[in-house]
This record gives sequence, structure tokens and C-alpha cells, in this order.
Amino acid sequence: MSTPLIPLLGRGVVAGAAAGLAAGLFSLFAAEPLMDRAIREEEARAAKEHAHEHAAATAQHHEELFSRSTQHFGLVVTAVVAGIALGVFFALAYALIHRRTPLANPWPRALVLAAAAFLAVALLPALRYPANPPGVGDSATVTDRQEMWLGAVAIGVLGLLLAWQVAVKLAERPVPVRHTAVAVTVVAVLAVLFLLPDNPDAVPVEATLLWDFRVLSIGTQALLWAVFGAVFGALGLRAASRPATAAEPRRETATA
Amino acid sequence: MSLHTASHTASAADATLSTRDWAIAAAAAIVSLIALYAVFLDQGTLVSATGSYLHEFAHDGRHLFGAPCH
Repeated sequence: MSTPLIPLLGRGVVAGAAAGLAAGLFSLFAAEPLMDRAIREEEARAAKEHAHEHAAATAQHHEELFSRSTQHFGLVVTAVVAGIALGVFFALAYALIHRRTPLANPWPRALVLAAAAFLAVALLPALRYPANPPGVGDSATVTDRQEMWLGAVAIGVLGLLLAWQVAVKLAERPVPVRHTAVAVTVVAVLAVLFLLPDNPDAVPVEATLLWDFRVLSIGTQALLWAVFGAVFGALGLRAASRPATAAEPRRETATA
Repeated sequence: MSLHTASHTASAADATLSTRDWAIAAAAAIVSLIALYAVFLDQGTLVSATGSYLHEFAHDGRHLFGAPCH
């Protein structure tokens, strides 16, 4: 009973850890200076308000549980944990496709699926709710914002599946018909995405800092999925080049 | 090469998932969901002796990945 699931999950975990580590280290050097700056500016704003009113102008980074350097480390850990967890879901989705067409070349398949995952869970949600640097975010609205964000991720995933299914169903039709139908689907998905309520929070951050942070946020996630697709695809090629029974040693390389 | 035509080459045995596969898939999905909840959504539900430890530890990652933060 050769199940394809375990090796695929192993590839997802290894690729997810590698991708998370790459994204975490990249953002540690590229994005942390921005976040530190955003926090200093937030503190300056809070101090100013404090001097004015003296009231409880809830400065959100008031009581610090962790130092900034611990939070820097936490960024890398978070990226690795998220990478592994996303990698598991990727592997499950891959397994569903793989069981129908197990002989397809794993390299392009992994890259295409990783690009699709980036679109669904990173780019589409970010178009509606772009990332905000520290200093933005009202704790009173966080539950609403989480529901909105999860809604955007769900719309991204379902919308991508829908566009893919439209393309599959119209496979026999002329190419212009198929492409137009997919484009209309994408526009409809974007319309639904923008029906979601606006982020209610004020963004009292300098525009260039905000832009740089948002570009880095998208860039980090693009890097994560690019590394993920490449590692997952390469592991698939390696497994395919072996005798059919081979089960690759997975965990050992994951922790290295 | 569309998925359509290629799927004919797969044998029937490959197209069915065993109960064991489903159990493994479900377990992996649940663990991953909990992990994602912990890093991106937790507000002190999972570990909160005196505050939201997980939230603060994952703070920068949440901001960077676009997850809502306080």
C-alpha cells in the first residue's frame, strides 16, 4: 500500500520550513528596520498625545511583554511555523491533483501551484487589506478585522479555484472564449473582494514608510512561495528519479 | 496537456484515497490550522497567563504577513 500522501506531506514540511526560514531571514534584514522605525514613531506620537491630554490615550505598545530583539527572533519563528503549516495545506492540495495525474512533471506543477497559492492567500487578500506596520491597529476593532481578513483569504482561495474550474470546464472551447471567461471570473472575484467592508482603522503613518512596508510584505510572501515551489518541485524531481518504492528521508533535512 | 486528458492515464487505484490517508490528511490539516491560528490570530486564548504572549512573540510576523494586529 504505497500511499503518496506521507512523502508529499514530508515535502510540504521541508519546503515550508525552508521557505519560511528564507522569508524570515529576508524580512529580518529588510523589514525589521522599517518596523523598528514605525514603533519609534508610534511611541513619539503616543508621547505627544499623552502630553496634550494626559488621559488614557492607549498607546498600544505600552506594556511590552518582549523586547524588540525577542520580537525580531519571533518574526523568523513565525515565518517558519507559518511556512510549515502552509506547506502542509499545499501538500494536501497537491495530493488531490497528484492522485489523478501522478506522472506529471513535479517541477512545473509545484511552481504553478505555489504561484496560485501566492495569489490566493497573499496577493488577493493584500489588495483588499494591505499590511500595516506596527503602530496601526486598534485593539477595539481587531476581531472585526480578523473576520474581514479571513473573509478576504477565503475569497482569494475560492476565487482562484473558481477561475481554475472555469478554465478546465471550457477546455474544449476556443482559446479566446476560455481566456475571456477566466478574466471575467477574476474581475468578479475582485468585485466580491472589494464588497468587504473597509479597514476601519486610521493609518497615521508616513506615506513612504507605509509604501515600503507594504512592498516588503508582498515581497516577503512572494519570496516564501517562490522558495517553497522550488524546494517542493526539486524534492518531487528527486523522488521521481528514484525507484517507485523509495521513501525519501524527510525530517532529517527539515531540521538542518 | 490538460488535467482532463491526463487523468485517463491514472489507474483507478490511484484515484481513491484510503481511510488511512483521510485520517492522516485530517490530522495534518488540524495541526496546521492550530499552528496558523497561534501565529496569526491568537489574542491570548492559547497562552495568556498575564497577556497575549503568542501575539506579542509573533507580533512582527503578523504585521508583515498582513494579519490583523492590535
